[in-house]
Order: sequence, then structure tokens, then C-alpha cells
Amino acid sequence: MTAVQKRIVINKIALTLSTLSALIALAFLFWILGVLVMKGISALNWNIFIFEGAPPGYAESGLKHALVGQAILIGMATAIGVPLGILAGTYLSEYGKNSKLAHTIRDISDIMMSAPSIVIGAFVYAVVVIPMGHFSAWAGAIALGIIMIPVILRTTDDMLQLVPGELREAAFALGAPKYKVILSVVYRGAKAGILTGVLLGIARVGGETAPLLFTSFNDNFFTTDLNAAMPSLTVTIFNYATSPYEDWQQLGWAAAFILSMFILGLNILGRVILFAGKKGK
Amino acid sequence: MASIIDIKEECALHVRDFEFTYKGSSAPSLKKVTMPIARHSITALIGPSGCGKTTLLRSFNRMHDLYPGNSYGGEIEFEGRNILTPKEDLIQLRTKIGMIFQKPTAFPMSIFDNVAYGMRLQGIKNKTELNDRVEKALKDAAIWKEVSDRLKHDANGLSGGQQQRLCIARAIAVEPEVLLFDEPTSALDPISTQGIEKLVIELKERVSIIIVTHNMQQAARVSDYTGFMYLGELIELGQTEELFVTPKEKLTQEYITGKFG
Amino acid sequence: MIDKIFFNFTRLSALLILVIVAWIFVVLFNHSLEAMNTFGLDFITRDEWAPNLDKFGAYAAILGSIISTTLAMLLAVPIAVGVAIFLSEIAHDKIKGFFGVSVELLAAIPSVIYGMWGLFYFVPIIRDIFGGLGIGLLAAGIVLAIMILPFMAAVTRDAMNTTPDILKESAYALGGTQWDVIKDIIIPYAKAGIIGSLILALGRAIGETMAVTFVMGNVHHVPGSILDPTTSIPVTLANEFTEADSSLYFSSLFGLALTLLIMSFVVIAVAKFYFLRKARRAS
Ligand SMILES: Nc1ncnc2c1ncn2[C@@H]1O[C@H](COP(=O)(O)OP(=O)(O)OP(=O)(O)O)[C@@H](O)[C@H]1O
Ligand SMILES: [Mg+2]
Repeated sequence: MTAVQKRIVINKIALTLSTLSALIALAFLFWILGVLVMKGISALNWNIFIFEGAPPGYAESGLKHALVGQAILIGMATAIGVPLGILAGTYLSEYGKNSKLAHTIRDISDIMMSAPSIVIGAFVYAVVVIPMGHFSAWAGAIALGIIMIPVILRTTDDMLQLVPGELREAAFALGAPKYKVILSVVYRGAKAGILTGVLLGIARVGGETAPLLFTSFNDNFFTTDLNAAMPSLTVTIFNYATSPYEDWQQLGWAAAFILSMFILGLNILGRVILFAGKKGK
Repeated sequence: MASIIDIKEECALHVRDFEFTYKGSSAPSLKKVTMPIARHSITALIGPSGCGKTTLLRSFNRMHDLYPGNSYGGEIEFEGRNILTPKEDLIQLRTKIGMIFQKPTAFPMSIFDNVAYGMRLQGIKNKTELNDRVEKALKDAAIWKEVSDRLKHDANGLSGGQQQRLCIARAIAVEPEVLLFDEPTSALDPISTQGIEKLVIELKERVSIIIVTHNMQQAARVSDYTGFMYLGELIELGQTEELFVTPKEKLTQEYITGKFG
Repeated sequence: MIDKIFFNFTRLSALLILVIVAWIFVVLFNHSLEAMNTFGLDFITRDEWAPNLDKFGAYAAILGSIISTTLAMLLAVPIAVGVAIFLSEIAHDKIKGFFGVSVELLAAIPSVIYGMWGLFYFVPIIRDIFGGLGIGLLAAGIVLAIMILPFMAAVTRDAMNTTPDILKESAYALGGTQWDVIKDIIIPYAKAGIIGSLILALGRAIGETMAVTFVMGNVHHVPGSILDPTTSIPVTLANEFTEADSSLYFSSLFGLALTLLIMSFVVIAVAKFYFLRKARRAS
């Protein structure tokens, strides 16, 4: 075999192996997705949306409590994380720019984005749960909000920087003060990007379980009391799936399916908005 | 119609009724190009931006095959066969028809390894042979003096002009029959450009050269034959002096006198 | 006037990030002081976690974290690199698009679902093949590997894609095969970016809680084999935080959280500020 022939064979082998690894990865991922869809759909029924949690063995048990709790937690987290994230991102892109402070903030925020979320939970436990004396929706929402800030900050910073400088200059030339330029010109120019960032941020915290375990904790019953433990889909999945009861496990799969669809939907929606925004320009 | 000189000397390549269409384009980017390439001489390709010079050049070593979906028509004859057939051995073809790009492309490895790369691909492992041939290639590319004491250094530490000569050394180290140059000096300063031009002229002793250039003076300085392309067609191919002094086509005349482009 | 107020609002929000991060460190440190004062270095070197005796050594949890992430890396890295090569060099445009999007969407699936799948579908397989409980380091490593795979493959692919086409073409022009170009050009060129991406994925794996909590077991013992149930830092935190009943117990858990935060901070910082920054500068 000549050297060139040998290279051709090695090439074939290497490319085959790499294709194979792609297939293996895909197989696993579709296995998981397949299980999720099959199990999830077979466990879905109207009761899930009508009834709250019940002891194992009860026919009239559902996920209403967790769905509502999840919505409340995410809504509150969004109310905390989005404004702070957007304002901070605005500072970086419009005021801080390339200053040392701005770069430090970007770096730290980048690390935060990958930091263990359970640690955020421990932190919030220490500064919110202990002083309050009990678990609460507030604590859970604060933990999720903290996790959300770096995600929103980063996309806002990136997206505002994409707005062309001439747009700002044109507005300044008309005598508008800086805040007006930012509010009416820059934000408008980056609207699609910021919205995408918000959706991805919500998707990111929507799947978080660990930071809720000891902040909002969990509850098997419907509640809207923000000063008490609050059920969430994720912690409910954890509790039901690790329970020995078949019907609870079923509900766990249903919750897992609903949650995944919600998060995938947000991701896809975010991409579509970004894509449409790009195309429109 | 096009006016193509009939080359009396031996030809390295023969392009006949060649057509090329990029993936997804409705119209071919090259239309019915017929062009002989004289052996051991320099053929320059000139023409306005987007006329298809690069496209033609990259057809000679079937570079377009790296991106699926492009299609060839007609033929390019090399060593007595049409190299556009599916059974053409591209590895073999590319070792015989080398290419130098618009920008220097030093590989992320040492200077020595850069030059030895093509030879190693061909299975040459013998240390002394490699050393000798690397040295010879570097000397032929007029860069030996500058790098002989730092062959083990990273090639990316060299200047742009040095890197481009290194790329030439790398290409000639495998002793190709044909060398394709796509605007090899467009990223270089005037002094480095001069060096590369001198080198190209020296190389034609041993290889047939096709060089794409935007710079008509460069074409006039280095080439024996010049082809003028326009909108995907070869308008005129002639001896360089004749083409620049007494062009046969009106379009050529307009282009070289700067009326457009 | 309004201009000033707006500016100050944005600046305060930006500074808040720094405040929160510093605050997290301070709070975790303060709360773990009691454990540190009581146990000293023993806290991380001793393998005795006995809440009933108020004795806390985190060795098993730390070791469990290290082994499970190492295992996950050993399994995930070759496959992720293979997938990245496939996506950047082999697949045709359509497959690339479809595959690329699925990988990114899968990276968004909540980790609690990977954990649940692992518990119900993968643990039984391990039990059938190797006997024992099925729950343990091996299961944790595999589930963790599957969970970080999409992210790892996506960022590795992005790193590989930074290689300029013209550089690859130069190697093809010398008669290189695809694999020659991958191993001699792309991998050396994108080395810093690839390593950075892999380490970043490692940083995420260390702190990952839910994917492993289901399948690790939470037994505070240095495992005899990778089939044994054991624990890791996030698993301990997830299982015991709400059960802690003494202040020393709490303090020890905060000590674990601090250890975890420092570990992942260091790993992520190395990935981002050494390798990925170097990669960005090079390209
Ligand atoms: N990858 C591609 N896909 C589709 N069309 C292409 C592609 N590359 C080039 N073209 C088109 O083919 C035509 C010829 O392009 P080519 O690059 O060969 O021109 P050129 O003469 O080398 O120009 P320049 O002097 O600017 O380098 C142009 O119209 C260009 O738009
Ligand atoms: Mg060109």
C-alpha cells in the first residue's frame, strides 16, 4: 500500500468514526426525546390542568398547583431579572463600552452565566430564607432572577452594539438627550434581539430545579401566597419521579413533557424572532 | 467573437468549451472558455472584478469540488486526459497542480513542517531527503537566507511577504507541473511584491504558471501570455506584448486603456 | 437631569452584578466559617460525614464530584469532538442545519429531565449488565456525559468553524484528504478554542445538580468501584440542605457550596480567560 493509499484508508476510517459518533449522540438524544414524548403524552389528560396535587392513589390529582406556581415564579423572576439585565446591558453598550469597569462586569457576568445554580440557591437561602424564617415564592423568584440577569445582560449588550452608530448620531444631531436616544432609537433598533434575549433568559431559568429546592421549596397544593413555599414544575418532577408511587411518576412525566415543550417553544420562538428581525433589515 | 491565439509550443493544459456553474446559480459563471496554456511559461489572467478569473483558476485543481453542488462542463486536458471526469484522482491531480492563494496561508506549524507538509503527505519520511528538499525549496523560493536559522520556529512569526514565499516553497517542494497563483501579491507591500514577481519568473524554468492579477502592469511585467476575461468569457488570449500594444478586441482595448473596470 | 438619573440607573444595575457575586462569596464564606473553624483542613480531607455525630468531612463528596465529571468528560469529549467534526466538515448543508438546530435545542432541555430519564431508563440497563444497584458513579458519569454532550459539541463546532477556509483549501491544494486537513490544520489552528470549549463544558458539568442527583445515590462513602453509589457536592446539597438540623451541619453544607463555587469559578475562568481569549485573539 502506498502512503497515499494508506492516507485514503485512514481518512475513510476517521470520517466514518466521526459520523458514527454523531449517530450515537443523535440516537441517545432522540431516545431521551422519544421517551419524554411517549411517556409525557400518554400521561397527559384534562385532570392535570384541573386538579392540584393529591396523595398517591387519588384519581383526582393533577398539576394545577405546579403549573400556576411555575408561572408565578417565572413571572416574578422575569420582573426582577429582565429590567436589571437590560439596564446593565445598556450601561455596558452605551456608557461603559471599552472601559475597564465594563470589561470586568462582562467577564464576571460571563462566569456567573455558567456558575452552578445550586450555589445561587444556597446564597438566597442564607440571605432571604433564613431572615424570613421560612421558604417562599419570593426566595425562589430572587434565585431565578439572579440567574437570569447575566443572560439578559449579555444579549442586551451584544444586541445594542449591533445598532449602527449613525442611527445614534442622527438622533443626537436632532438635539435629543442621550437617554431619549437610547430609549427611542437604540432600543427600537435592537427590539428583536432584546426580545429574543428575554425569551432565552426565561427558557434558561424555566428549567432550573436546583436553585428552587431550598428557596421556594415545594408544595403539593395550590397556593398563590408569595410568602409561603410555592410549588414548581421542576421540583415537582423531582419529587414525583423519585417517589415510589406509579401514579406520581406518571404525573412527573406529564410535568416533564409540559415543561420541555414550554422551553423548546421559547427557544424556537426566540430564534424565529431573531431570524425575522434580521430578514426585515 | 473571442480572439484566441494559437499556441505553437507545447501546452501544459488545454481548456475547451469549459463551463462552470456555482451551486444555486441559474447562469454559468464561466461560458464556453477555450484556452491553451503554454508549457513552462507564464500565462496571466486579467479582467474586471467578478469576471471569473478565480473561478477558472480554481477549476484547474478542482478546488470547487470541496463545495458540493457546483458543476463543470466541457473539458480541461492535462497530461493527455480530461481532468473533469468523476474518476479523476484529485489527490494526485493536486500534487501536480499546486496553488498559491491571495493571502499567505502559513499552516499552524513550524517553518520546516510547513515546507515538508506536502512531501510527508506523499509518504516521504527519510530525514535526509526531507532536509535536502526543504532546503532546496526554500532556496528556490528565495527565503532560505532569512529562515535557515529558525526552521523550527512557528511559521506565523514571519512577515506577510516571507509567509507568501514560504507558501511558494511549500508548493514547489512537491515538484508540481503547474502552479496556480490567485493574486499572490494583493496583500503585500511593493518590495515583497517585487520579490514574488522575480521568483515567479525564475520558476517558469521548471513549471507552467497561471497567474490571476488585478494589476495590468504586473501582468505586463511577468507574463508571456495574457488572457482577458469579461463576464465569464475569455475575450482575448495573446502574447502579452501584443495584447497590451495591439489588442485585437475592442473590449480588451477599452479595458487596458482604463475605459472601464 | 433625566439623563443623569437614567445613566445612574443603568450603572447601578451593572454594578449590581459585581455586588451580587462578591456578596455570594462573602455569604457562603461567613456561613461556612463554623465548619472551617471546627474541622480545619479535615473538612476536605476526611471521609466521615455523620450528621448524627456532628462530624462532617467532605472528602467523599469532593471525590465524587471529581470522579463523576472526569468520567463524563472521558465519555463525552471523544464523541463531542466527533460530532463537531461531523457538523463542521462532513455533513452537507441541509443535515448541518437540521443537526445543528437539534443539538442546540437539546442543549436547552432541562437537566432534571436527563436525570429522570437516567433513573428510569439507564439505571436498569446498568443494573442488568453489571449487577448491583445500577445507581452510582457510572450512571452519574454517563447521564452527565449525555447531558453536556450537546453543549460541548456545539461550542467545539463553533471553535472549529473559526479556521479560515483559505487555510483548509491550502492543505487540500497540496493533496490532503479531509482527515489530513482536520488533524493537521483545523485542530492545531483551533486548539485553544477547542480546549476552551471542552473546559467550559467541564465547568458546567461540575456544578450540574439535577442530572446526577437522581442516579448518584447520596451515600457518603468513598466508593470502592464506579458501580457503587456515592455522592458529590451538588448531590449532597440537593438532598440535605432542607434536612440539616444543626448549625454545624448547615455550616458544612455552606462549606460544600463554597467549595463547589470556587471549583467551577476556577475552571470556567481558565476556559474563558485563558483558552477562549487566546483563541479570539488569534482569529
Ligand atoms: N461561491 C460562489 N457561489 C456563487 N457564485 C459565486 C461564488 N464565487 C463567485 N461567484 C460568482 O462568480 C463570478 C466570478 O467570480 P470570481 O471570483 O471568479 O471573479 P474574479 O474574476 O476572480 O473577481 P475578483 O477580481 O474580484 O477576484 C462572480 O459573478 C461571482 O459573483
Ligand atoms: Mg478573484
